[in-house]
Parts: sequence; structure tokens; C-alpha cells
Amino acid sequence: MSTARGRKPLRRFFSVIGGSVLTLVATVFALLLITFFLNSRSPIDPALAVAGDHASQATYRQTRLQLGLDDPIAVQFARYVGRLARGDLGISRSTGQSVASDLSRAFPATIELATLALLLSTIVGLALALAAASRPGGFWDSVSRALSLVGTSVPVFWFGLLLLALFYARLKLLGGPGRLDDVYQYTVNIKTGFLLFDALRSGQAGAFRNALSHIVLPVAVLALDGSARISRITRSSLLDELSKEYATFARSKGATQRRILLRHALPNVRGSTIIVVALTYLDLLEGAVLTETVFSWPGVGRYLTTALFAADSPAILGTTFALGVLFVLINATVDSLVKLIDPRLK
Amino acid sequence: MKRFSLLVGAVSLVLFVAISGASAATPQNILVVAQSIDDAVSFDPAEGYELTTVQSFNNIYQRLVQSNPAKPTELVPTLASSWKIASDGKSIVFELKSGASFSSGNPVRPEDVIFSLSRAVKLNKSPAFILNSLGWTAENVDSFLAKVDERHVSLKWGANVGPSFVLNLLTAPIASIVDQKIAQSHEQAGDFGNGYLKTNSAGSGSFVIKSYVPHDSLVFDANPTSPAGKAKLQSVIIKNVADPAARRLLVEQGDADIARDLGTDQIAALKGKAGVSVVPFASAQQDYIIINAANEGNPALKNPALWQAARYLVDYDGIATKLLSGQVSVHQAFLPNGFPGALADNPYKLDVAKAKGILAKAGLKDVSITLSVFNQPPFTDIAQSLQSTFAQAGIKLVVQPSITSEVYSKIRSRTYEAAILFWIPDYFDAHSNASAFAVNRDDGSKTVAWRAGWSISKLSDKTDAAVAAKDPAARAKLYGEIQREVQSSSPFVFAFQSTDQVVLRSNVKGYVQGINADQVYYASVTK
Repeated sequence: MSTARGRKPLRRFFSVIGGSVLTLVATVFALLLITFFLNSRSPIDPALAVAGDHASQATYRQTRLQLGLDDPIAVQFARYVGRLARGDLGISRSTGQSVASDLSRAFPATIELATLALLLSTIVGLALALAAASRPGGFWDSVSRALSLVGTSVPVFWFGLLLLALFYARLKLLGGPGRLDDVYQYTVNIKTGFLLFDALRSGQAGAFRNALSHIVLPVAVLALDGSARISRITRSSLLDELSKEYATFARSKGATQRRILLRHALPNVRGSTIIVVALTYLDLLEGAVLTETVFSWPGVGRYLTTALFAADSPAILGTTFALGVLFVLINATVDSLVKLIDPRLK
Repeated sequence: MKRFSLLVGAVSLVLFVAISGASAATPQNILVVAQSIDDAVSFDPAEGYELTTVQSFNNIYQRLVQSNPAKPTELVPTLASSWKIASDGKSIVFELKSGASFSSGNPVRPEDVIFSLSRAVKLNKSPAFILNSLGWTAENVDSFLAKVDERHVSLKWGANVGPSFVLNLLTAPIASIVDQKIAQSHEQAGDFGNGYLKTNSAGSGSFVIKSYVPHDSLVFDANPTSPAGKAKLQSVIIKNVADPAARRLLVEQGDADIARDLGTDQIAALKGKAGVSVVPFASAQQDYIIINAANEGNPALKNPALWQAARYLVDYDGIATKLLSGQVSVHQAFLPNGFPGALADNPYKLDVAKAKGILAKAGLKDVSITLSVFNQPPFTDIAQSLQSTFAQAGIKLVVQPSITSEVYSKIRSRTYEAAILFWIPDYFDAHSNASAFAVNRDDGSKTVAWRAGWSISKLSDKTDAAVAAKDPAARAKLYGEIQREVQSSSPFVFAFQSTDQVVLRSNVKGYVQGINADQVYYASVTK
């Protein structure tokens, strides 16, 4: 039996969900509109990218017709949105495959890389921030500040090649460019696209170790920048907390610096830490295109960049759409998480 | 502290496992090639026209006749064992090789030849222009192809071209013979099997496509029943490695057997290294400067004196011997060395004083030109050299590097001022380059001469006569004259011909590469 009062929370639940879905749709639609418009202004001729430089004028005109490029922009956009609403992301002009299948390969590669990089960044970033905050001006504080500087200014391309030259070529300790050695090409049954997971599921220990040896270096490259960011923000938040009254009070009562940090300050900066971690994750997902290029990692960053160079509209829009949805979802999750853990908002 | 040391322990364990998983060296019966395959659009020979795809066609398909990679002027009967040219010189009857079959087991029949050639014309994709020069169009091509009997097929053409030209044309990748039964079994909405052939092969070559993952890898498996003979190795894996430095590391470590398109510095570093050898292959690719005489915004570009001065402002020897050492040689005619009739002499040298004189006489002062270049070596290097030599004569070159697709868009729309481009012949015949650089009647076909705004109806007539001539000596003589005219009075400055430096592991033998861009053969490679 539901009274008028009992129905309200339910209605509110649906209206909140409905509101979120509406926000998602509106944001993604606006994103697509802007991307479509910008892409239409691209100096690259998409028909030429498909037909090629040597093609005859007749072939070129036929290509323009087949791609619908001579229709008004609004018509082209409406056509695209219509197909999208039916779940059709279209066919990529540069790979000839459906954008959906291209993304189903590119995303797992990027997510695998980004997630591991985030894990490492968070561990190193937090550890450094704690060490730095426990003794400001000390050794670890200098290390953390040096890392922040290096992590954000070192050219990723150069650093990646350096690591490859050292650990792969010179020391022969780790795997080279690519996700897996060719010997394992046919032994791993690729179901999900997350190679580490697929190798484990196939029971291929050798393939698993090999995949791991290939992922270590790109993860290290990405984690350099990620940990620099996380450590910098967390360190300053922690120092802020430590200068507050309750910290002085706890110290006067005999609590050690370590205890204050771990039991009082760190929990209080949970909110800002979660936000910086989420932002770092979004940044990693969106495309570490330079890292992917150096390590021949067939991820989203490279896919999108190649599509941009070919003015490959379906691929550009499809990838933007997928990334947009991902961004909105992650942001919404972070927002609710922060609200959830903040006792002041309960 | 305990939690921290636990974390450190976990990370170390992961690293330890990772290090134990590193292995090197490629499998014994698999050839691994490191190159970029990002350019590949389609593996249908009627559609694919990028370097990756045309190089594949030699390995997965065969044609009626093919050119001998060691001696490109020699025609090798392949799926045709012999042919007879009609007395009027407007048709050829081919006898098909007996016992030839596709990888599917289906025999090669006249129907397959007719299907392959007619679908290529009807689909009208990137390389269709090659067959169009025979006068074949989607509407009339079926009337020109006919089955004579179970082993003979007849090809006719309407255009005014000679039979030697036609035979040369049939060595182009677009003339690959496709397994009609397989293609048609995958036909969708009248596409002649194009959708299926984009990523699958249906040919008689030494290999078949085992798998193709765009931007990732292309894998060939040996075709045991190929009329070309069984390939020596079991598979070829062509890995997409976009970064040249990464390609170098792979071939150095032995994780790749062949690496392509390395830069000058990387090649220099690899010379003399144990385990690898740098092999220079002759290439028909040429680099040239193009000036847009149709650009109304910069009137100096229209002036032939500017074009003439430009010919004396390129540091040919400096660029070839110092800047791009080993990668290019000086060649100033539009037919590359190796093509019959190519001019062998290089009459132009860097001569700033002479260029100044030409400019002064024409009253050209304070000239500024925007030079569009591809933002990758060697074009950026050549552009920098030009910038300094042109400046010595008072011409300001504003170098504008952009990505390839953007430069091509500017060229085709004639919105550029000048550019450095490259040209690779489409098939092994002088007409391929001549029809691009020496034909422009402003009739809608956007030849390269049109893109430079150079109207040449008389020269166009001469080029048409050259392709129609039946005698090879007469053709060579005409092309000599046409090259001379282009060399001395066009808005093109032909400067260099490339050498393709391919890096091979020392144990790789039997790799064959010919002068044409598509002539890459993996069938005889052993390790």
C-alpha cells in the first residue's frame, strides 16, 4: 500500500534519474553539434582523403556524392543524429570498418593502459604527498616538488623513447613497442580486448607475463605526469589541513605527525583527492596519443588523431560521442561520490 | 608503514613478473615487418590505392602480365601464358595459363578476368582512372571484354593508345584478377563483393590475408596452391609501428625482420651495426617543386621568369649529398631513371647570380611566396634549404608545414602558392607521368599541370601522340622532347629521385623490391 507520502521518494528518484539522463543527452548532443560544425570547417577535403590524390575528377565527384558532402551541413548532421539514435555509429572512412567495431578495439586498449597508469599514479602520488606533508621542506618534500616539475614539463615522446632505448633495447628487461609479442598472436583468445585479462582467462601464463612486460613502460610514462598532478594537489591540501586548529590541538595532546596525517588530515581531503584522481583518469582516457604513438599502442588517442588527419567524420564523431558519454558518467559518479563521503552534506 | 611496504612489495612483484615475460626474436617461419599501415583504406584491388595496399596486391593477387622486378621493362606472362595482338592494334587475345587456380581452389577462367576488369571500372574508385585511359567507362566496358573460349579472353579498347601501353597498364595493381565466385558470393547491394574484399583476399597470389586489424596489423598466410609457387615462409606479419624511432628499435633488437621508412639519422646510426643491413632499393618516386600560376593573389607566380629562376635556386648537390645523404639522387626530368626514355642529364645547378639576373630582367622585386610542405622529413628539410637559397636571390619563402591531407586539399583547390610534392608513377609506362605533368586542356580533368595553372594544349597533343605511337623507339624520342619542354618551361622544378632504404636483419634473404612503389614481394624470403 502506498500513501501519498510514500509515493514522493519514488517520484523523486525517477525525476533525479530522468534529470541525469536529460543532462547526459543534452551535453552529448551539444558536444556532437560543436564537433560536427568544427569538423565541417576543417581545411582537409574528406572526399580527397578517401579518393586519393591521383583519382580522376569523375571518381572524386562520385566520392563526394556517396559521402553526402554536397548536402547542406544541417542535413548531414540530422542524418548523422538519426542514425546514431538507431544505434548506428556509421562506417569509418579511413578504415572501411564500422566505427563501433573500431572503438570496441581501441577503447579496451586505452582503458587497460589508463587504469593501470591511474593506479600507479595514485599510489605514488599519495605516498609522495604524505611523505612531503609530514616534513615540509624535508627530503621527500623536495622530491615531490621535483617530480611535479619534471612530470608536467618532460616531453612525453622523448621520455617514452628514452625508456624504450634503455629498458627494451639496452638492458633487454622489458617488452618493446606493441601490446604483445608476435609469438603469442594466436595463442590468446581475445574476447574483451583487455589483453591482461584475456591472457589470464585463456590460462596463458607466458602471454600474460609478456603482455605485462609490454605495458610497464607506457604505464610508467603516463604515471609520471599523473603522479605529479596527484601529489601536488594532495600535498597542498594536506598542508592546508595541517595548519588548521584541530591539527594544532591534536599535536598539543601528544598525537604524532603520522597519526594526524593519516587519521585526521587525509580523510578530510578525500573530496579534493577524488576529484583530482578522476580528472587525471579522464585525461588519460581521452588519449595519450603521443604515448600510444611511441609504444604502438592501438588506443583511442591514435584512432581519433588519425581520423582528424583524414577528416574522417564518422570516426571523429563516434569517438567524441563515446568519450563524451564516458566523461559525463565519470563526472556524475565523482559528484555523487564526493557528496556521499562528505559527512557535512549528510 | 606496513601498508606502504605492502604496496611497494606488490609493485615490485608486478615488475618482477613483467621482466620475466620479456622475450625477443621473431618466430622462425614468420616474417615480421615494421612499418606504418595507417594509410590503408581497402584491400580490394579495384579500390585500394595507398602504399600499404598496393604493396599487398603483389602478394595476394596476380595479373595477366606482370613486370619483372629485376628488369621492369620486361613483361612476365603470369596468369596469361601468351597473347596475340590484333593487326589493327586495338585488341589483344590472351591465353590463360593452364592449371592456374585461386586460393579457394576455383580455377582461373576468362569469366574471372572479365569480372575483375569490368568491376574495377564500374566501381569507379581511386585507381579507376588507370583503366579509364583505355577509353573504358562503366557504360561501355562490358562491350570491350569478351570470352573467346574456355582458355582465351579478348580485350579491346577504344582510346587512341598503342598495344605496348595497354600491356604495361595491365601490370598495374588494379588489373589484379579476382576470384569471381568468391566475390559474388559476398556481394551486397550490387557492390561486386567490394565490402568483403576490403578486408579479405580472393586471389591467386603466394599469400592470402589471414587477418587485418586496421591501425594494428596485417597478417598474410602462405597460399600452397598459388601458380606463383608456394611461399618459402609460412606467414608475414606487417605490424603498424607509427614511430620511426620505434621501428628502428624493433629491427635492432630482432623483434622485427624488416623495417621501412626510417629517417636519415636512424639509417646512419644503423649502418655498420651487427645483425642489420641497410639495403638501398631504386625507387621511381620523385620530389618536385610546384608553383601555382593560377593563384590570382600573387601575380609573380604567373611569371615564367620566376619558374626559370627557381630552377637555379635549388641546392641540388648540397641536399642530395649532405642533407639527405643516401636517400635521394639528383634527377631533373619528369620520367624517373629506370623508365625507358628518361633524360639522364641534369642541366641545372645552384646559381644565385644567374637567378638574380633572370629576376632583374623580368622586373620581379620583393617577391614573397608561401611554400606548403608536408610536415615530415625530408620535405621540411628540403624546405629549409630552399628558404635559404631563395633568400640569397631576394625571394622570401614562407614555409608552411601541414599534414599531408591538408596540403593535398590546398593543391587540388588551387589555393596554394607553391609546394614541395612527391610523385610516384601509377604503372610502369611513361604515359603515367606524362599524362599528369604534360597534359592540360582546362577541360575539367585536374591533372597536375592543371593544378599548377599551366595551360598546354599543344604539348597535350604531343603527349597523346606519344601514347598512341606503336614503335617503342618513336615513343622514347617523343617523351625525350616532352621532358625537355617540361624541364625548361614549366612551373615545375623536378629535383630529386628517391632511393628506398629498407633495413633488413642480416639473416633475411630473398627479399625483392622493384622500382615501382607496389613492387614488394615476400614470396621468396627466407630467414
